[in-house]
Formats: sequence, structure tokens, C-alpha cells
Amino acid sequence: MQSQIFINQVYVLTRANLKSRYRNTIAGFIWVIMNPLLMFGAQSLVFRKFLQLNVPNYYLFLLSGLLPWIFLVQNVEMCTGIFVNSRTLLKAFPTHPAVYLTAQILDNLINFLAAFFILLLGMAFFAPYPAQGIPYLVFPIIFLTIAATAISWFLATLQVFFRDTRFIVTFVMSIAFYLTPVFYPIAIVPEKYHWVIAINPFARLITPFRDCIYDFNLKTLIESSGAAFVTCLCFIALAGGLWKLKKNAIYFKL
Amino acid sequence: MTQQMPILSVKNLNLVFRVPIRENHSMRDAFTQFVSSPWEIMSPNYDRLHIAKNMNFDVHAGERIGLLGVNGAGKTSLCRCIAGMYKPTGGTINVNGSVRAIFDTQVGIHPDLTGRENAELLVQFLFPGIKRKKAEEVVEESLEFSELGKFVDAPYKLYSNGMQARLCLSLISARPSPLLILDEVFDGADLFFREKIENRVLEMIRQSGAVIFVSHSMDQLLKVCNRVLLINNSEIIYDGDPKEAIEIYKDVKKIEAH
Repeated sequence: MQSQIFINQVYVLTRANLKSRYRNTIAGFIWVIMNPLLMFGAQSLVFRKFLQLNVPNYYLFLLSGLLPWIFLVQNVEMCTGIFVNSRTLLKAFPTHPAVYLTAQILDNLINFLAAFFILLLGMAFFAPYPAQGIPYLVFPIIFLTIAATAISWFLATLQVFFRDTRFIVTFVMSIAFYLTPVFYPIAIVPEKYHWVIAINPFARLITPFRDCIYDFNLKTLIESSGAAFVTCLCFIALAGGLWKLKKNAIYFKL
Repeated sequence: MTQQMPILSVKNLNLVFRVPIRENHSMRDAFTQFVSSPWEIMSPNYDRLHIAKNMNFDVHAGERIGLLGVNGAGKTSLCRCIAGMYKPTGGTINVNGSVRAIFDTQVGIHPDLTGRENAELLVQFLFPGIKRKKAEEVVEESLEFSELGKFVDAPYKLYSNGMQARLCLSLISARPSPLLILDEVFDGADLFFREKIENRVLEMIRQSGAVIFVSHSMDQLLKVCNRVLLINNSEIIYDGDPKEAIEIYKDVKKIEAH
């Protein structure tokens, strides 16, 4: 019964978020997905044309890394403040704080999927690619969504106690962008620096997308998905641990 | 004669918060403290804030319990424990049925959406598990009762505090509940609407199984409650007749004598 209530509340809140964002218009929908599309356009121009990165089918390569990255950053930045911003509601009646967090994640997921598949479809016409890895995309998407939820949950809890968390998060994510192979392949990184990528949890979440779309190989995909799964478990343990420790104090500090 | 099973049973309830003596409210503070005195941040000293001390009481069907006490006495924390928002440090809370609790009436779920759309959302949060058809009926009836007129289709963010309270109070008072917790719910309503909503809330209270009612208004406590728990320094110091509870509350010396 409790889980049914949770699902129902998440559903109505996600619908309301989407309604508020799209304003029930096509123009509203275009406005929302414009951010990732413009970002993709600008980065394609800079890295492909200005810096002339020598990567075959670079647009597809960039798409498979950049859009998942934008989804991750969007979630982290929008959700870090969600408990503090929803404090009036959280203190007004008993609702699990995860309802607000999950609804926001789902809202972002829908926008991400829309932008991602629009670009993927567009690319099939302009820069054809083998499609056999596309059905496997469901796994990286699930892992990324779970990891984004856990990271956001951890940071949203932290924000209740340290009110400058969201500023630090923005700063850290902008550094992480350069340290994650989003717009460059690992192959161009000198081998002595490969450990930087190896310890980067975000790289582990992005790599399976690339293995599905850009360079499909089932064996590599299974390996990278395993790494993404372990990364998810680590983030869940981190978020769950902090939540268990601070659950009572959250209401007190809000 | 068999004794009626209580709707709520609170046994040896304790709620304690560990509050750091020197608290950092930002990561910057924590960092500067770590650099200046790393030992202090690695072994912080805590103060124990005892919010509820050994509270014991049962609530039976038909009881309308008032919680009385000065600000900070622990009334709202007790209600939050019963509503499941706080996990007690010690003791047990057993609720036979569902609890519905409201601690603030000036709340909207989504400020960008209209009052009507917010009402449709609020109804899912105030009455979890409500059927779709019933939810629609509750929303329509409540919007009419709120007398917000054409403003129901205006964005919620444009509502005044009084209008927000009208919308929320109209919804919360639409359905009875086995155990209802109302924490200073009338405070946000404007004078003209207050009498109307008071009657509706009183009617809903009469239909509910049991009610826990928090208010600083003696008149409201006398009007609503047939039993009052007087809380002082996080302890229940009196449990009984509302009139007597109010007398004790008024007389600080008498509280200390108890």
C-alpha cells in the first residue's frame, strides 16, 4: 500500500512538473529540449571544426557522451536543493522526501530521452551508424538514472546541513566535465593518465552509452555495464547511509 | 465488558537530537575549521536535545485531544513522531488505522500551476490512496467551499496567504480520518473565512475517529477538545479536563508545583 501511494504521488507530481515546464504546448516542449540540442551543436562546432579532433563520426561520438552527461548534471544541479526548496511541503504533511526527488528525476529523464532520441534519429539520416546496439541502450539508461537518483539524494541531504553544497556541486561538476571522456576519446589520453579516467565514477556511467551507439561490441558492453552497475551500488550505499544517519535531523534542520 | 482498543498508543516515547556544540552550516566553515583545528572536527562534541521525555498516553475513538504548551515545549515534535515524520529514539507508537496530519495550511505543491491544479495535486498528498472519482468530487466541493471564485484558475503563486489557507483548509476538512492531527490549522485563515471553516473542521472532527489538536487559542481548545495534554519542558505534566489544563497552563507556579 505504501509503495502504491509513493508511486501514485510520484506520478501526479511528475505530470505536474511536465505540465508546468511544457505549458501544454509544443513550443514549451521545444524550449525544454533546446538546452541539450544547443549544447550539442556548440560542442560539435568547437571540437570538430575549431579544434579538429580526429575522431571518426565525431557527432555520434559526442552525442553518446554529451547527452547522458547533461542528464546527469541537470539532475544533480536541480535536485541538490530539492529538500530545502520543498521544506514547506515536507514539514506541512507527512510525505516521503524521495517523492519530490524522484518526480524531478523522472521529469528530467523524459526530457533527456526526448532530446537523445531526436538527435539519434536525426543522425541516422545525416551520419548513418550501425543500429544493432540501440536496443541495449535500455541498460545504460537504467544505470545512469539510478546513479543520478542516488547522487542527487546524497547531495540533497547534504544541502540540508551545508547550505553551500549546491555551489560546490556546480563547481565540481564543471571540473568533472573535463576529466570525463565526454568530448574526447580515452585513446587520445596518454597512458600514464588513464588512472584519472579509471577512478572517475562518471566515466563508468557514460562508457556503456558509447559501447551501445558508437562502438558496439557485446563483450565490451557487458564489461562496462558491470562497472556501471557497481558504481550505482556504491552511490546507493553512500546516499542510503547518509539518509539513515540523518533522517530525523533533516526535518529538524529544514 | 471488554476495553475498546486504542486508536493510538504511545509508550515511553523519547525523542532526542544530538546537536553539535559547534555546528558548521556550510562546507566552507567545515573546511576552515578542519584546517585550523582538525582534531575538533574529527571528534565533535554533541549536546543532547531532549524533545520528548517518557511520554505515555492512549487515544480512543471519540477523543479529541488538545496539546497545550509554550512554544518549544515539544507539541509539534510529538505530532510529527505520531505522523511518522520523526523516528523515536526510544519507546513505541502504535496506530490502529491511518493517520492524517497537517502542520501548515499555506502550502501549494506547484506555484506555477493554477489553484485548481494545485488542489488536484494536494488531494493526492492529503488523502493518499484516494480513488480518482472521489478525488475529483473532493476537489470540486472544496473549491466551491473555498469561495475563491474565478481565482481558482489563477496561478497559485499569485495567491495571498489567506487565499492559500482557504484552499488548503477547504481540502483538508473535506474528509474525516481515523486519526487526525491538526497543528495550528486555523492560524492562516482570514477573519471572514475563519468562522465558516471552523464549523466545517469541527464537523469533520466529529466524524473522525480521534483528533489531536494543537492550538494556542484557549477558546478553540475548549470548543474542540474533550481532553488536554499539557506539555512542559518536553514532558506531559497534565492529562485530563481541558478547563483544568488551561488553568494550570496559565499559572506557571502551578505547573512547577506539578
